[in-house]
Amino acid sequence: MANVKLTNVVKIYDGNVIAVHDFNLDIRDKEFVVFVGPSGCGKSTTLRMIAGLEEISGGTIEIDGEVVNDLQPKDRDIAMVFQNYALYPHMTVYDNIAFSLRLKKMPEDEVYERVTRAADILGITEYLMRKPRALSGGQRQRVAIGRAMVRDSKVFLMDEPLSNLDAKLRNQMRAEIILLRQKLNTTFVYVTHDQTEAMTLGDRIVIMKDGYIQQVGTPTEVFDMPKNLFVAEFIGAPKMNIMETRLTREGNRWFVAPFGVKIPVEGEKGAALSREYVAEQDILLGIRPEHITLCFQGGEGLIPCSLEVNEMMGSELHLHVTTEDGSRLIVRVPTLGLSTAERESLHQGAKVYLGFESKALHFFSKETENNLLVQE
Amino acid sequence: MKQNENTSLKKHMGMKAKTRVSNTIIYIILVLMTIIWLFPFVSIVLQSFRGGPVKGMTNEIIPSIWSLENYVALAKTDFFRWYLNTLIMALFVSVLQTVIVLCMSYTLSRFRFKMRKGLMRFMLILGMFPGMLTMIILYRVLKDLGLTQANAVPGLILVYVASSGMGYYVSKGFFDTIPKSLDEAARIDGATRAQVLTKIILPLAKPIVIYTVLTSFMAPWGDFVFARYISFGASKGMNVAVGLFNWLSKDQINSSYTMFCAGGVIVAIPVTIIFMCLQKYYVEGVTGGAVKG
Amino acid sequence: MKLTDLEYLKLPKWRRALIKIAQFFISIPKAFLNLFVKIGQFFKKAGLAIGREIKDIVLTFKNGDWKTRISYVIMGFGNITRGQILRGLLFLLFEGVFLFFMFKPTGGLYWLSMLPSLGKEGPGKAYDPVYDTYVTAYHDNSFQILLYGVLTIFFIIAFIFTWRLNVKQNKLAQQILDSGKKLKSGKDDLRSMVDDNFHKTLLALPLTGIVVFTVMPIVFMILVAFTNYDGTHDGYSNALFTWVGLDNFNTMLGIGSGTKVYAATFGEILLWTLVWAFFATFTNYFLGMLVAMMINKKGIQFKKFWRTVLVMTIAIPQFISLLYVSKMFAQNGMVNQFLQSIGVLKGLDYIHFLDEATPARISVILINIWIGIPYLMLIATGILMNIPQDLYESAKIDGASGWKQYTKITLPYMLFITGPYLLTSFIGNMNNFNVIYLLTGGGPTNSAASTAAGSAGYTDLLITWLFKITTGAESQYYFASVIGILVFMIVAAISLIVYNLMPSVKNEEDFQ
Repeated sequence: MANVKLTNVVKIYDGNVIAVHDFNLDIRDKEFVVFVGPSGCGKSTTLRMIAGLEEISGGTIEIDGEVVNDLQPKDRDIAMVFQNYALYPHMTVYDNIAFSLRLKKMPEDEVYERVTRAADILGITEYLMRKPRALSGGQRQRVAIGRAMVRDSKVFLMDEPLSNLDAKLRNQMRAEIILLRQKLNTTFVYVTHDQTEAMTLGDRIVIMKDGYIQQVGTPTEVFDMPKNLFVAEFIGAPKMNIMETRLTREGNRWFVAPFGVKIPVEGEKGAALSREYVAEQDILLGIRPEHITLCFQGGEGLIPCSLEVNEMMGSELHLHVTTEDGSRLIVRVPTLGLSTAERESLHQGAKVYLGFESKALHFFSKETENNLLVQE
Repeated sequence: MKQNENTSLKKHMGMKAKTRVSNTIIYIILVLMTIIWLFPFVSIVLQSFRGGPVKGMTNEIIPSIWSLENYVALAKTDFFRWYLNTLIMALFVSVLQTVIVLCMSYTLSRFRFKMRKGLMRFMLILGMFPGMLTMIILYRVLKDLGLTQANAVPGLILVYVASSGMGYYVSKGFFDTIPKSLDEAARIDGATRAQVLTKIILPLAKPIVIYTVLTSFMAPWGDFVFARYISFGASKGMNVAVGLFNWLSKDQINSSYTMFCAGGVIVAIPVTIIFMCLQKYYVEGVTGGAVKG
Repeated sequence: MKLTDLEYLKLPKWRRALIKIAQFFISIPKAFLNLFVKIGQFFKKAGLAIGREIKDIVLTFKNGDWKTRISYVIMGFGNITRGQILRGLLFLLFEGVFLFFMFKPTGGLYWLSMLPSLGKEGPGKAYDPVYDTYVTAYHDNSFQILLYGVLTIFFIIAFIFTWRLNVKQNKLAQQILDSGKKLKSGKDDLRSMVDDNFHKTLLALPLTGIVVFTVMPIVFMILVAFTNYDGTHDGYSNALFTWVGLDNFNTMLGIGSGTKVYAATFGEILLWTLVWAFFATFTNYFLGMLVAMMINKKGIQFKKFWRTVLVMTIAIPQFISLLYVSKMFAQNGMVNQFLQSIGVLKGLDYIHFLDEATPARISVILINIWIGIPYLMLIATGILMNIPQDLYESAKIDGASGWKQYTKITLPYMLFITGPYLLTSFIGNMNNFNVIYLLTGGGPTNSAASTAAGSAGYTDLLITWLFKITTGAESQYYFASVIGILVFMIVAAISLIVYNLMPSVKNEEDFQ
């Protein structure tokens, strides 16, 4: 129900440690924005500055057009879900959820109304009289969400809400957060270190590292057009294969030569290279494991490798291979696309050949590590 | 085969026998300890019931004449005045000191303000001065205010309570273990800092509150130095420790020794009962405090 | 000699131990050096900060509007004219009180002017025409002069800080108004007292108590060490006291040509204090741990009972148990009489438990074990139960015996966790007034030292000696104060060294 605007936001700890550098972002009304990055990248700090739990060292944060820098958390009209749930241990689930409403001096009837409605949505009605300690991790998580939900606040903040859950529960809760979002229809800011969560939940993803924003974009944008090497490696699992090579041009045609195998860059990517006036240079070539074609016979433009480890993931295989010069690559192959004989031949030491498709290639400057084809 | 079985059996028996022997030794030590630790207290109770003309020390461990006369005799002395003094002090001190200690430790645990580190270091250094040194001036100042000798009780309360902020370590250690995210959640839920304290932290800090109340309640019963200095010579202003101490001085011991025992028993019983009831919290506080340093 | 980690690991055990010990001794001067460097840095920082403040004050005046400038003289003027009435009035009130205090007759200025001399005219005879006789007339009061002098200095410091705050607020208010925002109203200020500024509200009372009842008395007593304030110079009724410089320290430490008996006594008592603190701390620590382990041992029944018996003894006020025990061990006490009656002691012989130097010293240490074990048992039990069981399990699988498990797991863990506690406990024992005073009263009297103040005894600690000096016939407060300062310095030095060497400080995460 409100937009959140961060302008030149800076966070400095103890006078010299800079946790967040010059953060600019305009979160639109009802948008679901995810901050993602490795630990210590400043994502939580930024969220906490929006919440008012950390002082803002520089810049301004506006919520719904009002500068909130000097406002106490309670005066910002926000709700927040914490990583460790932060349920009040001495109160029942009902009291936990009702706490904020009672502080607002809401009549008990309405409190009851709201709490039971939230409990109903989250499926925790039967636990209302229990203390948090008697709940499982998933139930606690729901209570934490319920507590944030009843407030009808302008902005909904979530700080790694799923990281304390086991993998199965996490998938389930992720789906529920998507449903919740449709019901609440408010502005969400969500912090996580898990790129899968970021990709599945966010309308837009903010990828951060060392206090700097690396890229802001929709999941498709950051996946297809990572701005730099960091984003490319961070998004997607297993992570993108990177190899050093040189980008060369022969007339209108572009070539790369990873591991001595000369591969032409054709189609859209080749055209883009020409269009952007890219110079010949040493580059870091990137290709995602799922975009590599696996061949059993050698051929032109195919890279010969030997198989080291074959991880059977169920619907797909993760193949760890080494090239002739000892570099390691990962290939993702759908199980269904392989015949039984082919699958059986994939034992340790087997010879395989990898094909790189032009449209799946990413070119990063070796010097700056920026994507040559994605410009500001 | 059979031999094998035998040796393994022996090994087994050996292990068992060994534990049995060591356990027996431990039991003997524990029993001896129990006797050594309890003997003085049992003995003091026995002495308090000793009647007869001799009021000084004797070689009787078990009295030959049993009597309540020592307890009766207490009523003729200032003992119950001292008792009342101490009780009043204990009640005031336990309430006021708890409030002050909680204010201090909560603040130092939860707020990050500019002077925090400096303040803590300053108090650490301050604590290295022997506190006894301050009593010389405190006595003279309190004397000017008319709060010494017979009026020592309010003066002593003031002295006990005023500096109690420096004893914040144990409860700060406890507050540090309450997750900060609870405060944050409450503040986002719309609570002021004061409401965070009253609605979230205090209910969770019950053990440490009880610990602080308990220890500060017990302190005046045992304080000797300040109580003696401030009440200086005036029987009406003494606490039990100072009053009873005088009964064991060279010129009084032969007439008051058994009375001392009776007084000691009356002091010890309620304090011990309260302590034993709240033992759990005391243990928690003490262990926590030692671990945190 | 710089060793790499791998080279160090190759050394035989004894050489590794030697290196550790050498490192310990090398680190002591380092710790001191560090301290001096830190003190130097502190002063440098403080100097720079003062410089910055002065610059800011000047700049604020230069850039300030007329309201700000008037506030330099009339505090709170800027606040009031800008609408922050409450703050302004408080500033104004403070300034009024301060000025009144300073300039009233026998006010701050008077006390300050008397401070260098601590009074000019002592009590003397004055003629009383009514009764036609000479009576004692009292004049200056050194004690009051010193006390109010210190108070005035504190007040002036407080005033300077408040004035600075007043200037700062003007600057801030001006900035806020210039940027078009609104100032906080008095109502906002009151509201912030339970929110943003709740910590100030909470700290106000405790800190006032500490400043008035600890800081000021300590400052006062430090100053007393440089005077001749004692029973015969109480500053009012018999004679004034005055500054004597370092005389008292010289006497106490035997510097210069004066009597050496104080220095000898001080040395002896200090040595005993350290010996006592060492034994009192470590006997309790290890025996307490032992008792805890015995009670915790698998297969021992009635754990709760054994523990309760010991815990109960904590509850009983120490003065009762200590006094009673001291009488049990007296010449004609229960123990001696019992030994006589069963014939161990012949006739009226008795053991000098508490009235001969060496036995008394041993007795107090033993009785202190009786006092201390229950407490240590509690602490040790709590910690022992927290040692992760898998450490023991893996040690057992590695083939460690019970003793090895103790020296390699239990003891290091305990020492690590309780390192800071051991330090505080050592210092606490140095100042353990109750046990010594109630058991022996410091006695038996040390005849060699008895000429020195307070007739020190063989079991006297510095702290009990201090008490005796202040309560003794001569009440040599200045010596008490000197001892107090020396105790502070010793304690601070020990803390500093130990603190710098303590593993819990160095590697906080080792056992976590």
